[in-house]
Amino acid sequence: MMLPYLIVVPLLGAFAMPIIGLLGEKAREAWAVVVTAVTLGVAVEVFNTVWRGGILLYTLGGKGPLGNGVSFPVRIVWEVDLVSALFALMVTFVAFVAVLYSTEYMRHDTGLEKYYTLVILLEVGMLGIAITGDLFNFYVFLEIMSIASYALVAFRNDTWEGIEAGIKYMFVGSLASSFVLLGIVLLYGEYGTLTMAYIAKMVAENPTFTAKVALGFLIGGLLFKSGAVPVHMWLADAHPAAPSSISAMLSGLVIKIGGTYALARLAFSVFSLGINVRTMGWVIVLFACATLIAGNAMAVVQTDMKRLFAFSSVGQIGYILLGTGIGLAAYGSDVGNLALAGAIYHTVNHAIIKALLFLVAGAVIHQIGTRNLNELSGIAKRMPVTSFAFLVGAAAIIGLPPMNGFASKWLIYESSALFNPLVAVIAVIGTAFSFAAYIRVLFTFFGRPSERVLTAREPGKAMLVPMLLLVVAIIIMGLFPWYIGDRIMVPAAKTLENTGAYILALTGGA
Amino acid sequence: MNLIYATLGFIGVYVYVSLVSLLWEGMDRKLVARMQRRMGPPLLQPFYDFLKLVGKESIIPRDASRFFELAPVLTLATSIALLAYTPLGFEPIFGTKGDVIVFVYLITLMGFFRALGAISSGSPYAQIGAQREMVLIASKEVPMMLALFAVLWRLNGLGVSRPFGMGTFYEHNVWELGTPLSVIGTLILLFVFLLWLSSEIEVGYFDVPEAETELAEGPMVEYSGRHLALFELASAIKIFVSASLVVAVFFPWGVSGYLGLTGVTALVAELLFHTLKVFAVLFAGMSLFRAITGRLRINQAVSTFWTRLFPAAIVGALLLVIDTLGVVA
Repeated sequence: MMLPYLIVVPLLGAFAMPIIGLLGEKAREAWAVVVTAVTLGVAVEVFNTVWRGGILLYTLGGKGPLGNGVSFPVRIVWEVDLVSALFALMVTFVAFVAVLYSTEYMRHDTGLEKYYTLVILLEVGMLGIAITGDLFNFYVFLEIMSIASYALVAFRNDTWEGIEAGIKYMFVGSLASSFVLLGIVLLYGEYGTLTMAYIAKMVAENPTFTAKVALGFLIGGLLFKSGAVPVHMWLADAHPAAPSSISAMLSGLVIKIGGTYALARLAFSVFSLGINVRTMGWVIVLFACATLIAGNAMAVVQTDMKRLFAFSSVGQIGYILLGTGIGLAAYGSDVGNLALAGAIYHTVNHAIIKALLFLVAGAVIHQIGTRNLNELSGIAKRMPVTSFAFLVGAAAIIGLPPMNGFASKWLIYESSALFNPLVAVIAVIGTAFSFAAYIRVLFTFFGRPSERVLTAREPGKAMLVPMLLLVVAIIIMGLFPWYIGDRIMVPAAKTLENTGAYILALTGGA
Repeated sequence: MNLIYATLGFIGVYVYVSLVSLLWEGMDRKLVARMQRRMGPPLLQPFYDFLKLVGKESIIPRDASRFFELAPVLTLATSIALLAYTPLGFEPIFGTKGDVIVFVYLITLMGFFRALGAISSGSPYAQIGAQREMVLIASKEVPMMLALFAVLWRLNGLGVSRPFGMGTFYEHNVWELGTPLSVIGTLILLFVFLLWLSSEIEVGYFDVPEAETELAEGPMVEYSGRHLALFELASAIKIFVSASLVVAVFFPWGVSGYLGLTGVTALVAELLFHTLKVFAVLFAGMSLFRAITGRLRINQAVSTFWTRLFPAAIVGALLLVIDTLGVVA
């Protein structure tokens, strides 16, 4: 069973980093790349196992989750279903690409042994959230992820914006984390257990008012983490201020694993049997609609490239929340299943696309030294490969057919149109805004070269290769959309909806 | 094996449409010349133009980026891909359910690639032309899509094998509904479609982005030699394809049934008859329109779409919808 190595390998990598770092810069970079590559390999193996064999249960410190002579789980369990495995794969892939990119991108910064340690810890936190089946364990991993990302946002602490964004992110994020903790405390006080699947069983038997309050706290905290609209303000500051390799991970992964994935996991696997899913779904759909419109509309008016991408991330989170919300509100129907599959698919697609876009932004900043769109006219002349990567990323995020963004958005449009036409109209308006925002950047990139751009050059191989890797991933995923949809995303949505199997995997099996 | 036949058919269609669409351009120029009491160029003039352009040196501006050279290729590639989804008297070669969206997407993408090439040239004339192109794309496709989807939705109610596919028009057509409301609605939509056609091929009122006298060819100003030749060929194909859409929606009747033809001969007969119909539609939507109207300003052109054609498309679509209720029998 390879599952433990998903945490062991990067944890070892992170803790060994200060020692390896003594050997010099090259060793440090090589170690980081090797560790993330091995983790990616482990994630592929885990995904393969889960895809073929169904839910994987792993108990820490024992043969089975149940205690001696008792019929309830006493140990921490990791419960990996198809969704978790898929997201673990996505996390390790993007993290690998980002680390590879960092080797050149971060070369001018100091304190890099801390940087790589934090990046790998960030990966550990996200992987932990994806695979855990224990509520408190989830909180611990959420905090590992959050604290690593606070530190990474403020990593360039000689710039005012890094510090400012870091403080903002930390205050808001800690508050959100404490909401999550409060929710967990309430659940523990009410039901006396912390294992997700077992709580799900207890909630189904006895849905109390406390459970609903706890759910409210959890949803509130996790919406913070995902950057849904009333609480998205930290994101628009944090992503531009962070180093671009980190923005790629923040925007591609952190807001999804710590936000929308956790939300979906708690809503479907823990609460769906006891709580009215329709209400819960509509609450999320409302937030999603606000997020869609506000995020994409704000992206149109930005002049800072990374801020534009950050607001676009908010907008795309809206699509994912919309799919999740419809999946809940139309629970058990074909429409709900389709919407949830769309949400999962879009999570993976957007992780790849947004990672690419932030890496492009990083290359532009690295080579030209500004991210003001008004000064960046005509990059295509001097940096054609980077511009091509941007063209692919922009086409994919708008959802043009030969790219991967099309199929996932299509699933979400289709299901929302079947669910409620008004919601579909809102989704389409969001896309129109997003289209306008990216066309603007595109025309800037392709315009007449400005003074600043004239001396620019393409970045080195270590930055171009990660971008091209993501471009290839986008195009390949775009060529087989329905194959991937039917083979992976729809089954993933089914396993997420099937709370009974999730509970049974804990109590019945293993 | 099927795929090979389809590919061969696709290549055949491409060759045929390239020849015919260039031939139509020659006819159009001749017709417009005759309307103005001129002799006009010979019928095959577009072929000579094309060959000459291919032979000429292509000049790349200093400020141009690599996409300047890529854009004509992408535009032509898109127009060729478009042929696979164009109804040409018979069902599109690669037609499936829902391929209408692919059609609209590809025809829009052509304009977009043209604008991209113009932007990449670094010339301010081309940039203004490209901006106008984008504004016009954003305006003109809306009424057309509304009209097209309304018709397809209505035909879908009659029972078709591939809903929202381009082949739908050869199973049922809008005229066979026959009720007064549907006929009025269809006529309104036909009007919308004809103006859309004129704007898609940028003639008459809607010669806004290229605007020879005002903007010196707009998006095309920096293109020369074989790059320009590719664009010319692509836009000739686009003219044929756009008109094919109008023909398929409103005049899809075939001839092979009357002549008792089957198999390949039927396909050829349908293709020829379709070409005739396309020429007829283009005569109205292109030659006449071009000869008797002048160019609008960009703001006038945009407001024509949003305040005249879009409401017209809404009214036409609503009439088709109300017709399903059976209020007026």
